[in-house]
Amino acid sequence: MTIKVENLVKTFNNKKVLDNVSFSVEDGETLGVVGFSGSGKSTLLKIISKLLYPDAGKIETTKNSDIAMTFQYSALFDFLDVFHNIAFPLLERKEFKGKYSREELKKIVAQKLKIVGLEGIENKFPSELSGGMQKRVGFARAIVTNPKIILYDEPTAGLDPVSSTLIEDYINQLKKELNASCIVVTHQMSTITRACDKVILLYEGKIVFKGSTEDFLKGTNPYTEQFIKASIKGPMEIKSAT
Amino acid sequence: MIDVKDTLLFRFASYFLREVKSFLETLGNIGKDFTRVLFYILRLRINFKAAIEQSSRFAVDSLPITLTIVGMTSIIISMQIAPELAKQGAENYIGMLSALVMIRELAAIMAGFAIISMIGSSFASELASMAVSEQISAMRVLRVDPIEYLIVPRFLAGVIMMPVVFILASFVGLLCAGYVSNWTAGLSMLNYIDSLWRGLYVRDILIAMLKSAFFGGTIALISCSSGYSTRGGAKEVGTSTTRAVVWSFLAIAIWDYIFAAMFYL
Repeated sequence: MTIKVENLVKTFNNKKVLDNVSFSVEDGETLGVVGFSGSGKSTLLKIISKLLYPDAGKIETTKNSDIAMTFQYSALFDFLDVFHNIAFPLLERKEFKGKYSREELKKIVAQKLKIVGLEGIENKFPSELSGGMQKRVGFARAIVTNPKIILYDEPTAGLDPVSSTLIEDYINQLKKELNASCIVVTHQMSTITRACDKVILLYEGKIVFKGSTEDFLKGTNPYTEQFIKASIKGPMEIKSAT
Repeated sequence: MIDVKDTLLFRFASYFLREVKSFLETLGNIGKDFTRVLFYILRLRINFKAAIEQSSRFAVDSLPITLTIVGMTSIIISMQIAPELAKQGAENYIGMLSALVMIRELAAIMAGFAIISMIGSSFASELASMAVSEQISAMRVLRVDPIEYLIVPRFLAGVIMMPVVFILASFVGLLCAGYVSNWTAGLSMLNYIDSLWRGLYVRDILIAMLKSAFFGGTIALISCSSGYSTRGGAKEVGTSTTRAVVWSFLAIAIWDYIFAAMFYL
């Protein structure tokens, strides 16, 4: 077990955004988290990444697991070039400060850029990169400390289909390289099909489906059926999507 | 029947309570951030490279506008006061009066206003943009404390560089006053400098430098804290920047009063 989430509850303004959410993700496994906008997916990632605290419930991770997260709009530091963006945790985090020489850092950054297929762009600034490239640099930054848990917040949002496929390939590749447990929040069916081993479907903060990707795609559950068909009619009211 | 919620009194009370809540929240955020800034400074966890970068930005970037504002204010005041004093036969007091006004009050407060509009607003909008584009969240996920990385160097830059800006602004202000006195009241530069020395006290300069350090630290802290706590989008970036400017103006006015009451009352 790398991540075990038990009975997670989070409330904002008297509204339960997460209501008794429980699941676990094993080593080398990718969990897809899907649901309408406002269903609590991003809140879930923020709690796992410790950006938010839950009101109740607990999260267990394998001891000393480093948690990495990639953001919907990459969240690259726009005042730093690609090299310093990727090397940022190694340069600034207390336990890594001064541990690596400049040459070692260059090697590490080059290696991570190679993994995401972007060699030789160390001196470029985020504003000089396309959206897809920024996402990949974000991936490289996330894995620079070799984390065992990787969280992806809508990794293919706003990308063309080819770039999306590329990103999905990288999600699979990173999982294999690091034997990491991954959680992918997505709206895109191709990401679920190509990158996820299992899926949870959230609706109004509750898990209404939990199972393998195959079972999810069968659409036998009325909730998954509505989601897959992108239907307005079904057990999930569209008001939560606004 | 009249719905209470529609009454003017209810709406005014709601608005007032909302503003009080927002005021207390802002105050709380500034206090919380200041505590953490102090924690890092006292433990000497300071990114010196970033502090030097921010210091050069604080002083160098703001200097042209600060010196222009202080110089212009000094010119305008001298243009009005110097001829009047000369008419009363008190031209020997022009330099002394200029020194008292410039050192005790004008240079620090005008430099403070210039710094707020140049640097404070830029700190606030920069950090607010980082907050809404999740760069600050990314920093936290990467386990680097944004307070240590972003706010501590800016705070130190404010505390260290503001007295330097004050000294330069005072020099330019007094120089401008001297030229204007020469032009409008026919006071020779030599007489002006002689009169100036009589109004120049080391104690005043030290107090003004200390006050400037408080101004600089307060402007940096309020601006960074306001930007750092921004949630939302482009509109909130603007709101945070405005809040930072307004709060900084108020804060340095309050500090100015406290220093005047403490040392000159």
